[in-house]
Amino acid sequence: MLRITNLGKSYGSARVLSGIDLDVQAHDVVAIIGPSGSGKSTLLKCINFLERYDEGEVRFGDELVGYVEADGQRRLATERQTNRLRAEMGMVFQNFNLFPHMTTLQNVIEGPIQVKGVARDEAVRHAEQLLAKVGLADKRDVRPTKLSGGQQQRAAIARALAMRPRLMLFDEPTSALDPELVGEVLTAMRELAAEGMTMVIVTHEMSFARDVASRVVFMEGGRIVEEGPPGKIFTNPDNARTRAFLARVLH
Amino acid sequence: MGYEWQFAIILEYWPIFARGAITTLQITLLSSAIGLFIGLLVGVSRESSGIFIRSVTSVYVEMIRATPALVQIVWLYYCFPIIFGYQLSAMTSIIIALGIHSGAYVSEIVRAGINAVDTGQFLAAKSIGMNHFTALRRIILPQAGQKMIPPLINEFANLMKLTTLGSMIAVYELLQESNNLIATTYRPLEVYTFLAIFFFIITYPWIWLSQRLERRLKMRA
Repeated sequence: MLRITNLGKSYGSARVLSGIDLDVQAHDVVAIIGPSGSGKSTLLKCINFLERYDEGEVRFGDELVGYVEADGQRRLATERQTNRLRAEMGMVFQNFNLFPHMTTLQNVIEGPIQVKGVARDEAVRHAEQLLAKVGLADKRDVRPTKLSGGQQQRAAIARALAMRPRLMLFDEPTSALDPELVGEVLTAMRELAAEGMTMVIVTHEMSFARDVASRVVFMEGGRIVEEGPPGKIFTNPDNARTRAFLARVLH
Repeated sequence: MGYEWQFAIILEYWPIFARGAITTLQITLLSSAIGLFIGLLVGVSRESSGIFIRSVTSVYVEMIRATPALVQIVWLYYCFPIIFGYQLSAMTSIIIALGIHSGAYVSEIVRAGINAVDTGQFLAAKSIGMNHFTALRRIILPQAGQKMIPPLINEFANLMKLTTLGSMIAVYELLQESNNLIATTYRPLEVYTFLAIFFFIITYPWIWLSQRLERRLKMRA
């Protein structure tokens, strides 16, 4: 479903990603772990082209993300082309980024109505189902600022799901939360994974990665150091750097 | 100094002031509307669009900000007709000139407002596939708008005072009417003093409102 090949990105002379290869199949749950500054979040944002990559390619389905190719040359895709792909990938941010001037329900129906042209009634019906699913049915008419961090993040998940995405991207979804609120967000994500949603998750929650991920990717210094099933990565990693990182975060 | 103030004269000629005040108000309202329209367009273009539109709008903003409003007014009134062969009335000239003038300042207010919105909002809008224009209209500007209101009210008060420049091209606003009145009554002290007080009364409430709203926004943030 998602194929990343030899992806590279630099900010000026600083290289933030190099030689990234990653395949994500339908219903995969891929957890990306690694120290901060390792390029995890940048990689995630390259997938829906919120960050522009300079080398290699990201293919979603069969389509190249962010660029079009003609006669061996490639140029930037139009905004419309990129947006069409983005609409099929949901993204959840560390800082929620809910729209503060709208109610929870309005946040959720905004994308379907404005981007996909869904009829309002239908968008509201779907939004109500999603809010019920993440346990926020009673918060539909409340502004995000009145919600706890955990509730905001669940609302953000509902907003992303409202677009009926084929792939969900999570950028450290629990890092900005108080510890006691992390659980409710992870529960919502766990349910999503159980339903078969394809997910790529940048996370520091090692136990969540171990329980829920079908594959774990360890990144350091803008490269993928090691990847494999969680059972292997967390108990018997091949690479010494993976071992050193896990020793640091697990103990 | 035993000057004998005779403010009765103001009462006697009140219709003249009323007439001038109406003209002043018309200029203020119409040039504000033009300024708001130009400022919104230019402010948004300077934040996005291609390099061409960005440079054209930058040149406009910098040229207006670096030349006096009075020079812009007399240029439009005296030079524009000679170059383009179309004479605008004095009233139209001042309204358009002040509109263009204020547009540059409004565009800076709009730009600052957009920049003050959390960049995460743009990312979130893009992540659901919104295009730049829809994101501005639905997500960014409604949030920026709130921050823009106090400085916009302030700009409105500025325009109110700038209308007096109309007297330079014989627009019958408050200052011009006052000058004429003085020519017949020889009472400059009363007339100009009243004029100053009158401007304070119509301008200060806006400045007060702007400061109040700004404080309230700060407290909520």
